[in-house]
Amino acid sequence: MTAKSTKQVSATADLERGYRNMVLPAVLAVGIFAIVPLAGMLALSVSDYHLLRGTNWEFGFKNFVRLVSDKRLMGSVYAMAVLSFFGVTAQVLIGAAIAVGLSKIVGRWRLGRVLFLLPYAVPHVAVALIWLSLFTPTLSPINAFFDLFGVTVPSFLTTQNGALFAIVLADTWTNFPFAMLIILAALQGISPDLEEAAALDGATRIQTFFYVTLPLLIPAFLLVTLFRFIDSLKHFPMIFVMTKGGPGRSTQATNYYGYIQTFQNSNVAYGAAIAVTLFIVAAIISFYVAKLNQRVTS
Amino acid sequence: MKKFLSTMISAAVLVGAAGTSTIVSAADEVNVVMFGMPYTKGLAALADDFEAQTGIKANIDVIGQDVFENRITLSFTGKSGDIDVVHTPVIQVQRWVSANWLKPITAEVDAMAVKSDIMEGPMDAYKIKGEQWAVPYMAATGLMTYRKDILEEAGVEVPQTWEDMLAVAAKIHNDDTAAIAMRAVPGQGFNMFIFPMVMRAYGGKFFEDYTAGDLTPAINSPETLEALNVYMKLLNEYGPQGAGNFNFAEVQAAAQNGQIAFAVEGTGIAASLVDPEKSQFADKTGITLPPGGPAGRSPAIAVHGLGIPASAKNPELSAKFIEWAVSSETMTKIALAQPFSNFTTQSVAKNADVIAKYSKIHPDFLAVQAEALNLAIGHYRPLLPEWPALGQAIGENINAALNGLMSPEDALEAAEQEMKDILGQ
Repeated sequence: MTAKSTKQVSATADLERGYRNMVLPAVLAVGIFAIVPLAGMLALSVSDYHLLRGTNWEFGFKNFVRLVSDKRLMGSVYAMAVLSFFGVTAQVLIGAAIAVGLSKIVGRWRLGRVLFLLPYAVPHVAVALIWLSLFTPTLSPINAFFDLFGVTVPSFLTTQNGALFAIVLADTWTNFPFAMLIILAALQGISPDLEEAAALDGATRIQTFFYVTLPLLIPAFLLVTLFRFIDSLKHFPMIFVMTKGGPGRSTQATNYYGYIQTFQNSNVAYGAAIAVTLFIVAAIISFYVAKLNQRVTS
Repeated sequence: MKKFLSTMISAAVLVGAAGTSTIVSAADEVNVVMFGMPYTKGLAALADDFEAQTGIKANIDVIGQDVFENRITLSFTGKSGDIDVVHTPVIQVQRWVSANWLKPITAEVDAMAVKSDIMEGPMDAYKIKGEQWAVPYMAATGLMTYRKDILEEAGVEVPQTWEDMLAVAAKIHNDDTAAIAMRAVPGQGFNMFIFPMVMRAYGGKFFEDYTAGDLTPAINSPETLEALNVYMKLLNEYGPQGAGNFNFAEVQAAAQNGQIAFAVEGTGIAASLVDPEKSQFADKTGITLPPGGPAGRSPAIAVHGLGIPASAKNPELSAKFIEWAVSSETMTKIALAQPFSNFTTQSVAKNADVIAKYSKIHPDFLAVQAEALNLAIGHYRPLLPEWPALGQAIGENINAALNGLMSPEDALEAAEQEMKDILGQ
């Protein structure tokens, strides 16, 4: 090895050490604010801690065994699955449609993009309050409008499917801009040469979209679906404000049920077990989506 | 090891609470955490008064009720000592005492000059195991408002019983103005603040014999079933559209917009409906006791007070703050500045300005409120550490029946079984 290249290697090593030091605070922050609470949650989930009864220092998987036979948990998983599936699907489809539309708009009207971002900037509790009033027949301008023509709009929040639909709608309204943003960015990363080449080969616009643009967007779709899906497992503010889990228990998604077990029923250990299970589900799905993403991009 | 678990809980909720700042008490500061209500907002506005009088700085944090629950659980289980005085709803006090979250303050309260001025019922509600755990500042009760013009037009009297209410409702209900709205969303502070008024009127009860200590769940009874059927019929047939998901805000709005004739609500909302400044129908609205039944009349009651957390670093300062906060002088200022009529410091009611203010809202208001408080039983909602869990479970089943997800019979059966499960019976 010549003196020059040794110098080069040590310079790269120096540089790398520098970068490593720069990353260190972030690693520490993640360690303290993510790993430690997670470890705490894991410890709690295998304990028997109850806010009122305290603990007998028995550790084991009793809470997880109970999860399997808990009918209310199954009901909550159904509510969560409905909210997540329809919510995420709607957000990604609507976000993609608007992104494709916006990507074709040039000139001054490009500023219109900001308009579509607004719902994303509204705090979730405020979004929930807006939709609660829209879905409360006595307050809703929609009901008042149709009343003028003698048409009675059904009450959504008092039926199981209606309440789930209302929450999906509120969730979609506030979160589609995120999907739109990511897909728009991906669209702009696609070189126009490809579309031109397809056009020269005689492809129609629709063919170009489905055979050229869409396949190139798949990584963005996967990414945005994954992000929205993980976030959708944490349903809380919409449910808390709009239905309080009702009618009955029909909109108690799993995360909300965990809150009730922990804070209303004082079952801290059981609530932690629910949270840990949710975390594991999210982690497994993320892992597979990441792998899928790798396969698609390579 | 217990400390380890506490630390774990704090750690587990840390991420969620990262946004809340933790202020550690300095020697001459008290940190007060309360949730938003007219009194607490009024008190926060008077923080400078307290500092001027005592030289102690009061940091009064008024937050949302949902955030409050998480904030105090985090602070108390982690024993962080960052709260010196805490808003203590009577419905939670048993649970908090069981969890060793509060400091007994019998001696401190005995030393307060204002003690003899505070209503005895609400004060006793904070007595557990022979100790005093908090000092009440308000006792809200259940009241009924009614549209005088609508009743007059239909030629009917103000209903005295729920049975009467069914008859009156059938006569006055129409597409523009529904007969009645009440809270319906599930929760111990929502439908379970209102429904027991119907239940108790028909002789329904939560337990076999609560006062004698027999806590065998007894909600699945013919009496409660009758009450539930009345409650359901009123809301489903004579309530506004969507009544099955109403909370107090929707009831209030419906009454303020003239969409309902009757509202059975807590004092705060009821007062706003007869206040000309808050409702355009106020001059046509009367206020009275909620209806009764074969077993009498049982207005709801909710007591709120101030307690000292077990982890508070300087309990003497905390006690000083509480004494100031419930003093006749402070209470009078808040009663005048805020819609706050349900104070428990009795001499406030003698203040001429206070009388003038609330008589202007409605001449009967203070008298009706006093009568309702007199009729209310302290354990309207059972004073048990498990109540929040019990109330949640019962409330969810009642709401499911109301919205047709299950029959009222099944709902009560499920509620009773869940009560047994929660109590470990």
